[in-house]
This record gives sequence, structure tokens and C-alpha cells, in this order.
Amino acid sequence: MFKEFAKGLSITLKHLLPGNCTTVQYPKQKLEMSPRFRGLHRLVPTQHREKCVACYLCPTVCPAKCITVESAENEKGEKYPKVYEIDLLRCIFCGYCVEACPVEAIEMTDAYELANFKREDFNFDKERLLKS
Amino acid sequence: MVNLTIDGKQITTSKTSTIYEAAKENDIYIPVLCYAKKLLPYGACRVCLVEVEQMKGRLIPSCTTPVTEGMVVTTMSDEIKKVRKTVLEFLLVNHVVDCPVCDKGGECDLQDLTYEYEVVTSRFEGEKFDLPKDEANPFIERNMNRCVLCGKCVRVCDEVVGYGSYSFINRGFETKIATAFDRGLDCEFCGQCVSMCPVGALLPRPFKFKARPWQLKEVNSVCGYCGNGCTVTLGVKDNEVQTIRFNDETGVNDGNLCIRGRFGYSYVNSNKRLTKPLVRRDGVLKEASWDEAIQTAVQGFKDAGEQVGIISGARLTNEELFLVKNLSKALGTENLDHSGGECYKGVTEGLLETLGVRASTATFPLVEKANAILAIRSDFYETHPVFGMVVNQAIRRNEAKLSIIADKFGKLSKLPNARTLLHKPGLELNVLNALCHVIVEEGLAKTEGLNGLDELKAALKEYSAETVAELVGGDADAIKQTARELAGAENAAIMLAYGLPYTAYSKELAIAAANLALLTGIAGRQGSGLYLCGEKANSQGAIDLAILPGGKGMGAQQMLAAAGSGELKALYLVGEDPLVSYPNRSLVEKALEKSFLVVQDIFLSPSAQMADVVFPAASFAEKAGTFTNAERRIQQLHVGIKSPGEAKTDFAILQLLLKELGTSAPATPAEAFKSLAAETPGYEMVSLDMVGPQGYVWGGDNLEPELKQLVPVAGAQPLADKYQLLVGSALYHSGTLSTHAKGPNAAVAAPYIELGREDAAELQLVNDDMLKLKTVEGEIQAKVKVDRRLPKGVFFTPYHFAELELNKIYSGQPAIAVEPVKV
Ligand code: SF4
Ligand code: SF4
Ligand code: SF4
Ligand code: SF4
Ligand code: SF4
Ligand code: FES
Repeated sequence: MFKEFAKGLSITLKHLLPGNCTTVQYPKQKLEMSPRFRGLHRLVPTQHREKCVACYLCPTVCPAKCITVESAENEKGEKYPKVYEIDLLRCIFCGYCVEACPVEAIEMTDAYELANFKREDFNFDKERLLKS
Repeated sequence: MVNLTIDGKQITTSKTSTIYEAAKENDIYIPVLCYAKKLLPYGACRVCLVEVEQMKGRLIPSCTTPVTEGMVVTTMSDEIKKVRKTVLEFLLVNHVVDCPVCDKGGECDLQDLTYEYEVVTSRFEGEKFDLPKDEANPFIERNMNRCVLCGKCVRVCDEVVGYGSYSFINRGFETKIATAFDRGLDCEFCGQCVSMCPVGALLPRPFKFKARPWQLKEVNSVCGYCGNGCTVTLGVKDNEVQTIRFNDETGVNDGNLCIRGRFGYSYVNSNKRLTKPLVRRDGVLKEASWDEAIQTAVQGFKDAGEQVGIISGARLTNEELFLVKNLSKALGTENLDHSGGECYKGVTEGLLETLGVRASTATFPLVEKANAILAIRSDFYETHPVFGMVVNQAIRRNEAKLSIIADKFGKLSKLPNARTLLHKPGLELNVLNALCHVIVEEGLAKTEGLNGLDELKAALKEYSAETVAELVGGDADAIKQTARELAGAENAAIMLAYGLPYTAYSKELAIAAANLALLTGIAGRQGSGLYLCGEKANSQGAIDLAILPGGKGMGAQQMLAAAGSGELKALYLVGEDPLVSYPNRSLVEKALEKSFLVVQDIFLSPSAQMADVVFPAASFAEKAGTFTNAERRIQQLHVGIKSPGEAKTDFAILQLLLKELGTSAPATPAEAFKSLAAETPGYEMVSLDMVGPQGYVWGGDNLEPELKQLVPVAGAQPLADKYQLLVGSALYHSGTLSTHAKGPNAAVAAPYIELGREDAAELQLVNDDMLKLKTVEGEIQAKVKVDRRLPKGVFFTPYHFAELELNKIYSGQPAIAVEPVKV
């Protein structure tokens, strides 16, 4: 019985040794996110415009109803999102929008530091989402 | 009746049904792509294949196969599924599949079927279509890369609209739908093809990229333009009417609309709408509060004492008209009239004298079964396009014989086997008399129970087909044939449209048409009818509610004359713009100038600009209530959007006025309907819950005439002048309202003077030249439109446009003698 006890304790002690600690010293230290992590959204840009074609699938699928899209016609006669906004305070980071997008125009980045001081700052418009 | 089994269910159905229809009646689902309820079976897509026990070995298209006794049908099996899936795979081989940017996405039959049959891969490879798109047309966007060649657009434009814009061109993989010479679309822009297209190949251009179908709230209402009373389903989002949705379930129009109904909605969203009451202070119209405006108006009415006149439009709901009537009582005046007065009054008086009724004697759908049809005036199609489509269907399905008494050729004349009884301007009466003469002479008349036959016979003596044909410049044989067809037909229809530009001989025309209807037995016979179709959405309602001068009261024209001479002190115009649309401009101008004028409208119309008080009113999309269409169908309007700014419905404004006058008013339109039904003949038994999705036809499908009195009417004499101007309606517009809507304006934005090729050559005019027409009273000028439909010496101009100032030379005459001068 003592043997088992010592074995267990040795694992604990091993983790106390430098270099073996699992606690991440946030914010000095930051974790590498898994590729499938669902953080802040990003609208994918192409050369001239956003990739999004304003198909309205993401605002339709969004369970939190936090995406606002308004489509319009640009000079070339293409469909584009005149308005694209996400209210991050309502977003539940389910990733359905990413899944729904038929043209892979929206992604979720690994950005998770989303705290802010003002309500308005949680409203991500098209320009911000293209840069994120 | 035929008995058959579908999916094990015993079914009895009519022997004219197809398998698909029998299944549908019994809620058995069979997918379709090229089938449409209102079109003839076609069988282009093969999505509807089913198995029939008696026809083993192959699959049968259910939409084209008639039912037979004892048939055993299976609608789903592994094989059927496989074949349907293959059909879809084939369709998708060349299909562009740009659903994310395709406005059909969400209500696309191809998309839905692809999803249903899980077509995720394709075993076939092929090039995607890369055909040019037409996105420049202001009404219809055409992208043939998305076309599935179902042929519905081709068929609807031919079978229903009777225009024939499209056909299939090329063969094999190259097959596509194209217009004549594969050019841009130049048609009636009724949008029937758009509503039929199962995919995104034909789309409404004004709605491009505006919203997804599932985001729209659909509100069924009644078109606010003409007396056809089509159901329009408003697609509402963000308190705006975004588009008009297809709906063939509700109403009398089978999902058919004309350009005005389908594309003429944008005026309700216009930023030029009146949003605040205006009151004239120091000679200028200034914004005011509702309290102030109402008080000023009522004070003005009170100051005028009994010298007040009310002229109402015919686009108010029945409930609003009822309040207008109450207001006239509260003001103690009998000077009450609606739209144009003379014309409407004349028509109803004429009918009352002969048949004892004041409305059409039958309903529109009956015309589909007619064998002979007579349209009085070629403009009938222009004023009531969707009824015109019913006529077209009667011709195509039923081989109905159509005759048109017309002073010019028009759409109706182009329909298959149509016979145009062309006459010189203003001589409709003579032709009608000649028709009666033939019927009497040849002993075809159904004289039973008719009064006044001998007098009529005597009076008709001078109107033999030959004499009349010579006078009007027509063909006697044609007149005779038409008369024989009308008299011999089992079901027949006579149609007469009336409206502001057609004031001449209105009473006489109604009488002459009624005479003919009596002699042929059309009036009162089951399945036949005499149709009197008012120009505006609620013209019939206004007549039913008797928005007409009472006892000693004055009609519209007299009121205007009296106001001009100072006899009438105050005028109240509700939804009417007489300065533009009434005959005799100087008279109207003087009247509006001299009187204390209150105008209620949705735009600051030329008449409103002269007012002392202006009330901002609501459009049809903003109110609840009922309209009665030209076949006596009472239909309900529903509120789609909120009025802009402080604008109020006419109902609410009239309530305020009544309250200020110290009288009570019904609290809601529903309550008003109850009261008006109680005191309106024909409406007594009607309650609002009887007015369902198909409306309610008061008096029944066939309205029995109360009288059968023949009344002789004298014909007219032609003008001797070389050049004569006809006034009328253009297809793309209705009244003056449509000139505020983008759709109709994209088709015809400005007034024009139309003339025939011969005249154009003689006067050396080409399209878009400026032409001035001089008369003794004044002159008008507009651009020239050269066409083939006008006889030599006859010009035509539509009356809708304010800038033409047509009523400077038009005072209600059947044709205006003019002198053309090239500018
Ligand atoms: S689903 Fe994609 S393309 Fe569609 S609106 Fe959203 S981001 Fe744009
Ligand atoms: S027509 Fe239908 S299937 Fe084709 S792109 Fe449009 S929505 Fe998609
Ligand atoms: S809009 Fe009407 S007239 Fe024009 S092509 Fe389509 S169906 Fe035919
Ligand atoms: S354009 Fe539309 S309605 Fe016409 S054939 Fe093609 S898919 Fe059918
Ligand atoms: S204007 Fe007349 S015919 Fe055209 S859609 Fe409206 S009610 Fe129907
Ligand atoms: S629906 Fe029957 S063949 Fe197209």
C-alpha cells in the first residue's frame, strides 16, 4: 500500500519540478490554440472585396440571431454585403455561421481576448471583421 | 367520374383530371417542375414520373396522363426515385448553381428537389452554361444559365397573357429560351413569366438582391389601381413593400397581375409622400399639427355653411366612402360625387333605366366559359389587363369569338381570330345600334319579357348594318357576324370599361350595351353577363354606396362650375386630383382657386398645391377595409406597412373631421362595414367573415336584372375634321397615381402623342419628335410615338400625366379636333 502511495506522490512531485508545470502563466504567457478553436470571426477578403456574397445563410442559421447582413448590388452588378455586423455580446460561438457559409467567406480565428469597455465596441462591423 | 387507386388509396375524380391532379386533390405528393395549375399540361421535365400497374415496363408522366377507370398508380418506389434523381442530375450538368447570389434561393424548385432527392454528386460531366444575362431591363432579369427549359414562361406569355414574348430556339444542348431575334424584352411587363419560372432564370429586377424569400412577411391585400381587384401579396420587410409575391390561391386573378399591380408598388415607399398636414399661412402651405389642420378645415366648412362640395376618389375603401357620406350629412350638403361624376353617373343611370341594376351582371371567371365576347372600346385591355387575360384564355381554351368595337387597334385586336369593328372616333353607339338592328331584323332577338321593343325597333330603322358601316367606315358583314355570334352563343359576355378619359356618351353607351344585352338574352342568363368595369379599384363600391349627388345636390362638374362662380364656398377633395385628371382645366383651376379648398392625398398633387389645408393620407398598403371590384366582389385589404411620418388613413382623417363636427363615427373599419352593409342595397346580408380569401360577390354570380326595358338611343355623327385626338388610358398606367411609381414610369415616363405611320409620313414625324396639337381652346405638346394601331387622321394620347395639361383641350368630348404642328 505504501508503494502505491509513493508512486502517486512521485507523479505529483515530478510535476512540481521546473518545466513540468501545466498552469499557463496568462497573460504573460499564451496558449497556442487548436486549429478548430472558435474565437472571434473573420470575414475573408479577396483581392478587391470581401469574399462574402451576402447569401443570408449565416444570419438565418445563427441561433443567437446576432448577425446582420444587408445585401446590395455593387458597380459590377455583383451581390455584396453592404452591411455585415456581428453583435459579439450575443454570439454564442457555436460556429454554425462558418459551417453554413457556401463560399467559405467567414472563419473563426483564435482570438479570444474580446473584453472591452463599451457596449458598442462589441459590435463588429464589416471593416473590423475583415481585419480581424 | 373515374375511380382509381393511388398509393393504395381509393380515389374518385373527374374524368378530365390527370394523375397528378387526382393525387393533388387527395394530398398525395408528386414532385413537379414544369407543371402549373393554370397552364395546359406539357410534360417537359419528367420529374413527375410514376408507375401505373396497367402500363408496366415504363414510367408515366403523371402531369400529362389522364386518369382512366381502374388505374393503379404508385407514386414512389426505388426505381422512381432513381429515375427522378437522374433527371435532376441531368438538369444540374449545365446548371450554374450560383444559389448564394441567386434571388430564387429558398424558393427554387430545382434547389428543393435537389435537396429532397439528395443529389450530391453527378455521374455526368458537362460544360456549364455561359449565356449572356439581361440585367439592364428595369422589370425582368433574365439569366438563361439557370433555365431548366420547363417552358412555363413561353406558355404563360402565350396561353394567359396572349403576348408571346418567348420561344425555344436552337436544338439539343444549345436549346434556350429567347425573345424575338434574341434581343431585349419589350413587352407588357406583366411579370407573369417571372411568377411562373420555377428557378432563378427570370426574376423581378427591382427586387434584385433585396432580401431572401424567407425574410419577407406576406400580406394579402387588393391592388389599389384598377377595378379588376386582383389580389396582391405584399412582400414586406423593414416597413417597406419590397416586392409583390406570387399568389394564385387567393382572389379572383389566379395569380395573374398586370405591370401596375406587379411593378407599380414603389410609390408607397416614395420619399415624396406627404408626411405632415399642411395649412396655408400668408399664402404659403406650411407644416402644421393635426389639431390645427382639422380645426382650420372644419372652420372653413362651417363658414361655407351649406355651400360645401365633396368630391371623392374611387380608391377609397368602402368604409372610408361610408364616412365620406356621413361627413356630407354632418355638413348638411348633398353636393357629393366621386371621380369625374358625369361618366360614372351616366353609366349607372343608363343601366338603372334599362336593367334596374347598377353593376356588372356576372363574374369574371364566367367569361372563361364564354363562346362569344364583345368588348366595347379597344382600351378595355389597357384599363383592365387581367380581365383581358381571361378573355384571351376563353379564346384559346374555348374558341370564344371575340369582337371589339374600337376606334383604334389594340391588344385585343391581336388575339387569335379577334374581329375588330373599327369605327370613326365617337361612333360606338352607332355600331351598338347596328348590332341590335341585325339581331332584331334577323329575328334572333330573345324578346320574351322585354319592354319597349316596338319603340326600339322603330328607332333602330336608320341603323342597318350597311348604313352604319358606311357612316363609321366599317364592314357591314363583320357587324352582322358579330351580332349573329352574340345572339347565338350559349354563353356570351359584353364588356364596357368606363373612367375619367371616357366621359363622352357614357349614359347612352350604357343604355346601348344594355339593349344589346337584353336582345341577346345575355343580361340575367346563367353563365352570360354584361360587364361594366370602373377604372379605379373601388369604382363599384362608390356606386354601391351612392357617393353621388343627393336630391338637390350637384355632381362633380356642376360643383366645380359653381365653385368657380363663387356659388360654392368650400371644396373637399378626397384622393382626387381634378386639376390633372378632370376635363376642362380652366373650369377646375378657377374652382380650386376661388373656393376654400381642403385636399386629402398621399402626394402633393397639383390640386393639393392649390389647397388651403392638405391632409396626408395612406396608400392601399397601409389600410384595412374592403374594395368592391367591377364584378361586385367585395374583398378585404390588410395592413402591410405603417404610414410614413404623421400620415393617417383616410378612415382616421374622416373620423377626426366627424368628431370635430360633433358627430360620432364608427371606431374601426370593421364596425363601419357593419353599418354600411345595413344600409347598402345588395350588402344587407354580408358580414365581414363572409368576405373570405376569395372575397364575396354580392348579388351572386349572376345578378338578375330588375327591369327589362329597352330604351332607344340615338347614334352620333362623326367629326369632319382631318385630324382628331382620342383620349384614353395607357396599359402601363392607371389614373394619375401610377406616375409616382418607378415601375410604370420605367415603361412610360412621359406623355406622348401616338399616331399612325401614314400620318407620321405625311407630317414628316418620327419617334420622339415634338408635336404640338392646337385647338380653339388651347394647345398641348408631347413627343411623338409612331405606331401601327391608329387609323389615318386619328391621334391618341393617354391622360395620366400632369405635365401634358391635356385638359386644357379636353373637356369630355369623344374626340378632339386638332391641328398638328411639328415643333
Ligand atoms: S453565409 Fe457566407 S456568404 Fe453567406 S452571408 Fe454569411 S458570410 Fe456571407
Ligand atoms: S436557380 Fe435555383 S438551383 Fe439554380 S442557382 Fe438559383 S437557386 Fe440555385
Ligand atoms: S412580362 Fe408578361 S408579356 Fe412580358 S414576357 Fe413576361 S409574361 Fe410575357
Ligand atoms: S426561363 Fe424559367 S420558366 Fe422559362 S423555361 Fe426557363 S426555367 Fe422555365
Ligand atoms: S391594375 Fe388592375 S389588372 Fe392590374 S394588377 Fe391591379 S387590379 Fe389587377
Ligand atoms: S411536371 Fe410532369 S413532366 Fe414536368
